[in-house]
Amino acid sequence: MRFLLGLIGLIGFGALLELVPATGLIPDRYLPPTSRILATAADEVADARFWNALLDTLITWGLGLGIAVAGGVAVGVLIGSVPLLRAATASTIEFLRPIPSVALIPLAVLLYGSTITSTLILVVYASFWQVLVQVLHGVADVDPVARDTAAVYRLGRWATVRYLIWPTTLPYAVTGFRLAASVALILAITGELIIGSPGLGKEIAVAQESGAVPQMYALVVVTGLIGVAANLLTRTAERRVLAWHPSVRGEVPA
Amino acid sequence: MRRNLAALLFATVMVTGAACGSNDPAPPSTPGQPDQVKVGVIPILDVAPIYLGKQKGFFSNRNIELTLEQAQGGAAIVPAVASGQYQFGFSNVVSLLLAQSRNLPLKIVCNGNNSTGEDGKDFAGLFVKADSPIQTAKDLAGKKVAANTLKNIVDTSVRASVRKAGGDPASVQFAELPFPQQPAALESGQVDAIFVVEPFQQQVVAQGARKIASSYVDTAPNLTVATYFASTQLIGQNPDLVKRFVEAMKESLAYADSHPDEARQIIGTYTQIPADVIAKVTLPKWPAEVNRESVQKLSELAVGDGLLSKPADLNALFQ
Repeated sequence: MRFLLGLIGLIGFGALLELVPATGLIPDRYLPPTSRILATAADEVADARFWNALLDTLITWGLGLGIAVAGGVAVGVLIGSVPLLRAATASTIEFLRPIPSVALIPLAVLLYGSTITSTLILVVYASFWQVLVQVLHGVADVDPVARDTAAVYRLGRWATVRYLIWPTTLPYAVTGFRLAASVALILAITGELIIGSPGLGKEIAVAQESGAVPQMYALVVVTGLIGVAANLLTRTAERRVLAWHPSVRGEVPA
Repeated sequence: MRRNLAALLFATVMVTGAACGSNDPAPPSTPGQPDQVKVGVIPILDVAPIYLGKQKGFFSNRNIELTLEQAQGGAAIVPAVASGQYQFGFSNVVSLLLAQSRNLPLKIVCNGNNSTGEDGKDFAGLFVKADSPIQTAKDLAGKKVAANTLKNIVDTSVRASVRKAGGDPASVQFAELPFPQQPAALESGQVDAIFVVEPFQQQVVAQGARKIASSYVDTAPNLTVATYFASTQLIGQNPDLVKRFVEAMKESLAYADSHPDEARQIIGTYTQIPADVIAKVTLPKWPAEVNRESVQKLSELAVGDGLLSKPADLNALFQ
């Protein structure tokens, strides 16, 4: 039922965009009707260049997200577990975290030119903090009683991380992952668009520079679809990974 | 103390990053191995010859394996060439004059593209709305003109048109607006005039806009608009590579200039310009040699318009 309503909403939005240029509110050479955008998208799909660009975007996104999640979890567990480290890095993290990733574009271009590495820097920088901050909160949320119990049972360092810290942190880390996934996609497209590294963002820029308005919209629609797919994927992953957790199990906790 | 440590750490990371990032700008030519050459270009009509030359094998004939890197503008290409990520780059002449005035170690190695030199039939132009009271460039006094980049070749050329028509170039206001947004801005009246290149020239002509000047033609006869350039480091370290690149480039320019149909065809491969528009666009001229007098003229105009504090040293700018 919810899916159906969502579909109706989407179709309604498409119909609205079909009507706007027809009314002359916005000339159709700047906003082509939905039907023409979809027809152009169908043409694009038949083009190998499109699939290469899509693959490049997915690689940038996946690689950036992977590095950010791995780095965020590792650094987060380490910093969170050592109170001294946590105190020493807190102000630095709070300083670095709010720096908008796009502000690093000139630096990235200077170092790596218009390559995938430049865009990766942006992607990793933006999504790393999402994961790190969540993991830090997760580690801090470990139940003191459980912590003391683990100490009494003389759990080793590794066992403490595995059986005490990780189960508490995992839901936070997964939330961080979900947030990072959408941020990483935004930054991947932004980087391609501005830096010109290969991918859909660059194709959007080329379409714009070529005055190919329907192509531009078609590619924008595709990036939207990737966003939807990414969200569905992370939600599914979340349910899988946290199947044991009360928030997902949906039962009244004992 | 804690903060100093963090700053130190951050700086170290950045410096190490920089060390990894800066490639050797002049990979020595290995016998038997083709030279890997990256060229920063912009996906516009102007660079059709290099794409055509690559397809025709003019570069591989000379043992150059060419990779064309599309950037969104000269602003991204100039630093990439200066730092050695690209061996060559494509940029308009005024940007290179400005780069030289900032002591960036860059030199023009080969011509890029020129205006057609025909008034009213150039690949770029100054347009007003069909019903605009503006009749000539002289009437632009106090009006707002869109330019894709401020303090660059477009406003310098538009001022040249105003000067030629007998107006006061200092009284023209410029608004920075990317080419793709200019047709809509003209139509909605946000600006009084726009300066666009192809394919947007076709778009505004289709909108019914009126061309009041061919500013590149007004600037200098057969104006060299853009050129290919390299870093002085590459020129010093691998003069043979530069020589072969320039030869291949000259062959490409001559070929593209004499085979406009093939040039149009190749444009369809690296841009998204619709085929019917490609068939109509006015192509630039692609002479093999830079028109030095026109570069000199641009330098003088740039000084007059306050872009440069003193005329450029052309002998130092050319290889």
